[in-house]
Amino acid sequence: MRDSVADAGPVAQDRSPGTLRRRETAFSSALVAPALIIVAGIYLYPAVFTLILAFAEFDMAALEIGRWVGFKNFTDLFANPGFVDAIWRTIYFGLLIAIGSTLAGFLIALLLNQEFYGRTLLRVVVVLPWAVPPVVAGVLWGQMFHADVGFVNALLFRLGLIDSYRIWFGDGRTALHIIALAEIWKAIPFMVLFILAGLQGLPPQLHEAAAVDGATPLQRFRYIVFPLMLPVLIPLMLIQFVWAMKAFDTIFVLTRGGPAGQTTTLNYFVYLEAFQNFDLGRASAAAYSLLVVTLAVVLVVTVLRRLATRRRVPA
Amino acid sequence: MTGRRGRQIAWSVFLHLSALVVFLLMAFPLYGLLLTSLQPESVIRSRELSFIPESLYFEHFHAVLAEGHIVPLREGLFNSALVSTLTAVLCLVVALPAAYALSRLRVPGAKGILAALVSVYFLPTTIFLIPMFVVLVRWGIDDTVFSLVIAYSGFVLPFVIWILKTFIDRLPREVEEAARIDGCSHWQVLIRIVLPMARPGVLAAFIFAFILSWVEFLTPLIFTSNLKMTTVALGMFRSTIDIQVGQQAAAAVLTLLPVALLMLVFQRLITQVLMAGADR
Repeated sequence: MRDSVADAGPVAQDRSPGTLRRRETAFSSALVAPALIIVAGIYLYPAVFTLILAFAEFDMAALEIGRWVGFKNFTDLFANPGFVDAIWRTIYFGLLIAIGSTLAGFLIALLLNQEFYGRTLLRVVVVLPWAVPPVVAGVLWGQMFHADVGFVNALLFRLGLIDSYRIWFGDGRTALHIIALAEIWKAIPFMVLFILAGLQGLPPQLHEAAAVDGATPLQRFRYIVFPLMLPVLIPLMLIQFVWAMKAFDTIFVLTRGGPAGQTTTLNYFVYLEAFQNFDLGRASAAAYSLLVVTLAVVLVVTVLRRLATRRRVPA
Repeated sequence: MTGRRGRQIAWSVFLHLSALVVFLLMAFPLYGLLLTSLQPESVIRSRELSFIPESLYFEHFHAVLAEGHIVPLREGLFNSALVSTLTAVLCLVVALPAAYALSRLRVPGAKGILAALVSVYFLPTTIFLIPMFVVLVRWGIDDTVFSLVIAYSGFVLPFVIWILKTFIDRLPREVEEAARIDGCSHWQVLIRIVLPMARPGVLAAFIFAFILSWVEFLTPLIFTSNLKMTTVALGMFRSTIDIQVGQQAAAAVLTLLPVALLMLVFQRLITQVLMAGADR
């Protein structure tokens, strides 16, 4: 597929190269322009505007920038323990979802890569949560963990694992993990599809050769499948991390960031500052802090991965 | 010999058991939601664990779809269908020429453009929503279908361009080249040749655009306050305010249904198109 792009020269090129090329460039630019204008108007301009706002105080009545405050928004934020807690919570929450969904997705993909009765059905069922809008996922898991009518309480009580019905969302720590669970459940289909495609792209000869050499299935997994799949798994994991940073709907529906702000991630914090407190300046500063945190974690993971491969190569 | 056979049986049992566990974990939450939506409140509230309903009860659906219900689901379904369709159409009209140009023609800064489009998905949505909110309020068009279509198009367009571009990349060039030699303009090639060949990609892109718009929650939450302007995803959340559990489940099922149907009907197409994109 890729080499077809390489010999891409337009056909008419050789008639009179200069003019035709220029005409083609003009034409292609015209085709791309409307899309670029929309994207620039809805993305670029707002993104820059938010960056500017981060250093200002916004006047909500006049709907314009009130005055410049330098780094005050940032210093205010970092002086707020709630915000600093939210940063760590957000990183934990993101890593939980990234690692959880990668692990679950990998295991399910390995399973679906085997032959067994009902595999086609399972494949369809595994993809189902993909079709669930995030709000609905929130409502659904909220009902599962509902204190009175929830299935989880009923089941655990019946099994004798709890002696009274628990209010799951009453405890911030538990609530955060339930939100992560809902997010992981929703992320699994995407992960399974892409990891499965990766598994099916592995050359089958490798397995056969290893089997001939007497490698046990576990060894084959440890020394062949796992290392070969890492270049697929790590980017997928990072994608999930970035998406988890944007989680909003499930938090809003399940806990509204509570109790006592214990499920407030940075993204939710930005929402509260902007659209509950209407402090757009501070919200913008928080939004850019979120972006920096996201990029920092992605960078750290990428660097760690580089270091790990470099160490393995000479050995 | 028996040892080996035994191991095979054990492996097979293990596989099937794992499959069952995965099946339950992935499907049960959805089944539970559907079940709840079809049971009377008294059964839901009773602390009995019952997984197979004795009878089906459709009152919750009637109730939430009735006019003037506290969950504005009627308006929501209508508005969402309208906004999602408009967004999908707008995005396709703008994205198809752009995708064709990026795939086949010399576009100055093409690499940068593609990178910028992808980077959009790494930035927190709130970064865009804050100024957009200000602008929309200033123009006095918050709380309108129009404001939602604009915002959604920004989110959806990069994705649609990306899908269409990867699809067009995979089409054979020969036909287009032959048409060029026969004297067709690039525009004619796009309309008469690329568009018909790219139909599955266009369909997939449309479905994606529709779904992404349908499920969007934060944007309408911020941009609309009038109940008449609510979208289905937003109306849904109002169901978390003190209504019957069964009605809440029914509202959730109705929100989910159009998306689930699209995904089920077009599952093969969607996976193929998405996987094609993942190759690069």
